[in-house]
Amino acid sequence: MNITLNQVNLLPVRTWKWLGVNGTAVEEEIPGEFAAWEPQALNLPQGIKQNTAAFDGAEQIETGMGKDAEQFVLQNQNAGIHLTAEGSAEEPITAEYVLDATCPALADYNTIYAKENSSVTLVLSYRSQGGASVFHTSLTKIVAERGAHVRLVQVQLLGDSAFHFDDVGVIEKENAVVEVVHVELGARKVFSGCKARLEERRSRFEAETIYLGDKSRSIDMNYVAQHIGKETESEIHANGALLDESQKIYRGTIDFLRGAAYSVGHESEYTLLFSPRVRNRTAPLILCGEENVEGQHAASIGKIDPGKLFYLMSRGLSEPQAKQIVIEAQFTPALEKIPAEALREAVRDWLKERMSNA
Amino acid sequence: MKAFEEEKTRVDDIDRTIYDVKDKVDAAFTVDSGLTPEIVNQISVEKKDPEWMRLFRQKSLRTYNEMPLPGWGPSLDGLDMDHIVTYVRPKTGMSSKWEQVPKDIKNTFERLGIPQAERLSLAGVGAQYDSEVVYHNVRAEVEAQGVVYTDMESALHGPYAEMIRKHFMKLVPPSDHKFAALHGAVWSGGSFVYVPEGVKLTIPLQSYFRLNAPGAGQFEHTLIIVEKNAYLHFIEGCSAPRYNVANLHAGCVELFVGENARLRYSTIENWSKNMYNLNTKRALVEKGGAIEWVSGSFGSNTSCLYPMSVLKGEGARTEFTGITFAGKGQTLDNGSKVIHAAPNTSSRISTKSISKDGGTCIYRSSVVITPEAAHSKSSVSCESLMLDSESRSDTIPVMDIQNDESDVGHEAKIGRISDTAIFYLMTRGLSEDDARSIIVSGFAEPIAKELPMEYAVEMNNLIKLEMSGSIG
Repeated sequence: MNITLNQVNLLPVRTWKWLGVNGTAVEEEIPGEFAAWEPQALNLPQGIKQNTAAFDGAEQIETGMGKDAEQFVLQNQNAGIHLTAEGSAEEPITAEYVLDATCPALADYNTIYAKENSSVTLVLSYRSQGGASVFHTSLTKIVAERGAHVRLVQVQLLGDSAFHFDDVGVIEKENAVVEVVHVELGARKVFSGCKARLEERRSRFEAETIYLGDKSRSIDMNYVAQHIGKETESEIHANGALLDESQKIYRGTIDFLRGAAYSVGHESEYTLLFSPRVRNRTAPLILCGEENVEGQHAASIGKIDPGKLFYLMSRGLSEPQAKQIVIEAQFTPALEKIPAEALREAVRDWLKERMSNA
Repeated sequence: MKAFEEEKTRVDDIDRTIYDVKDKVDAAFTVDSGLTPEIVNQISVEKKDPEWMRLFRQKSLRTYNEMPLPGWGPSLDGLDMDHIVTYVRPKTGMSSKWEQVPKDIKNTFERLGIPQAERLSLAGVGAQYDSEVVYHNVRAEVEAQGVVYTDMESALHGPYAEMIRKHFMKLVPPSDHKFAALHGAVWSGGSFVYVPEGVKLTIPLQSYFRLNAPGAGQFEHTLIIVEKNAYLHFIEGCSAPRYNVANLHAGCVELFVGENARLRYSTIENWSKNMYNLNTKRALVEKGGAIEWVSGSFGSNTSCLYPMSVLKGEGARTEFTGITFAGKGQTLDNGSKVIHAAPNTSSRISTKSISKDGGTCIYRSSVVITPEAAHSKSSVSCESLMLDSESRSDTIPVMDIQNDESDVGHEAKIGRISDTAIFYLMTRGLSEDDARSIIVSGFAEPIAKELPMEYAVEMNNLIKLEMSGSIG
């Protein structure tokens, strides 16, 4: 079985075709069937209900990767978590998927419906075992009603033969807050996307993404914050490192629609480059149809500060260790948002191993 | 929130009185509207093209017909090529004395201040009216240094014919995009400049392009070669009166900057609001050379303009400084492209835009650092002000970095004046209105200071700011 998606991660406004950032086509062989996945027993805190299907209207929510990717997961879904938050839950709900040669294909469709003033945290992690060629696609849709607070953390530590995509769509009502953390450190081909519609006043969206490109990994990302309501806020930040022959496209868009007065959007992207064979493409867009707003973007792409590296090495660290510390420092804001210590440690171990092999 | 208060600073529309004066259309020769091999051939005959140019035009026309319209950028729906007249020859030949230029045409350039500027501060002037250059002159002392400044037609037939053939549309080939192909087919007019090795021109040359005929296109070609260790400042001005039908400007500028040479290319573009300005500008910079673009874009209905710098030689550098002002009915899609193709190259892009009354400003750019361009540096900064919510302002930059020994920084900002800046000035004793006034004036200042004095004054006249409250 093959996957062919004509266009994913479409740039909201097209630019010159030769730059290759308007969108990406996906062509991949799927190593096996989407067999039904054993349902996981979740640690559901009080106030959180698990459902057997998505909430009504979930299909209307637009995602970062777009229709093609969304339809693929919906047609092939073999796992998923559907939650309704009614109360305030401090404890995160965690689920871990481990792919291997016997279960090589996963399409998980997740939904979170957070009722007024509720709060919920969902942590999903994806790993693979035994170097098997595996295939993972994920779709998550979130509605945060008035005053609700939703955190979605997705950690991807798949092996080098994996194909992976993470697609998210968000709608926020008055005073809602949604935080999305994407940790994309493994796989051979990685796609991730998120689109958040800040529909009502004072809603806030935060996206924190970290990525690591090593070997021949390609990473393709698209994050969009659409400001519709007044006094809405968005913070979109990405931090990453590219090694070996890896390449990456990062698209980040803050879109202020007319009427989104007094809104503020910030986006930033910092990429460290470690090899002369890497390729880094960045397209940070600010679209503005409203005057009373503040939009800002900053990007910095370059090699590691040699002074910083020298300082660490003069303290007795090896070059890979020094580089690892610098990368880890850069990843800290996102790592701190992973609410499970064991998972945070797993991410640190992964980084250590990758850097020592670099 | 104080900074979001409702009272706005008024920014006047551009005063177009002098630009909108129309001369009676009294052409000596005009081709039919539309584009056919016969019409293109007729242009070749009229212009007494050498055979290679005749063939070049026909090939470009074929390329034009085969290429699609761009799949990005502003709508070009209002542009109907079947109704554009591609060649209009004015009823005069080219002269090097203003007295010999027909009175009505001379008066037009007088109103635009060209002869006065020539007397006061320019080393040479070229003036194009519709499809042909009507005046070209260069000071004797400049000519004595070996500087060539002439119209493209004379260059094509004179001692520099081979040099023209070697460089013409080599940097911007007709296959580059549909309107480059159109330019290749119907180009007419423009200037050729050659600055020999080591010659540093301390005063600028200027070409002014005026399109008078309604429903016509202007397709001038500017070719400039600045040899090793030489320096030139070239100024380009453009305007047209307003008509109810679409006019088209699809000019082409090719700049060759030699080793350690420096070229400053300044443009004040003030086309009328029925103009589609689809111009292509490109510079190739050799080792240690520099291209500096200064661009003020105020006119046109629709503009797509992204001067490109190809940094071919080690240590080459480019600077782009631009301001765009879009008013009612205007979509100005401007920016810059840079290709770093050699080690130790550097680029700096700095732009500002103001949109009001439903106007749309789009900043679009690309910075490409190739694997060969190790230790290169690029910094991009763009700032946009929107003066009302009928207007739009979009920022679409792309960076493509293909080695790990380069540093690229980018920052974009859109919105209103910072409260902190106002507060700071007020703590120094200024009233709030005065503080806002200073900040708004300062917004356009970095661009104005890059222009020669008389153009800075013109630009300030183009954007009249009346301070009576907040902005943005």
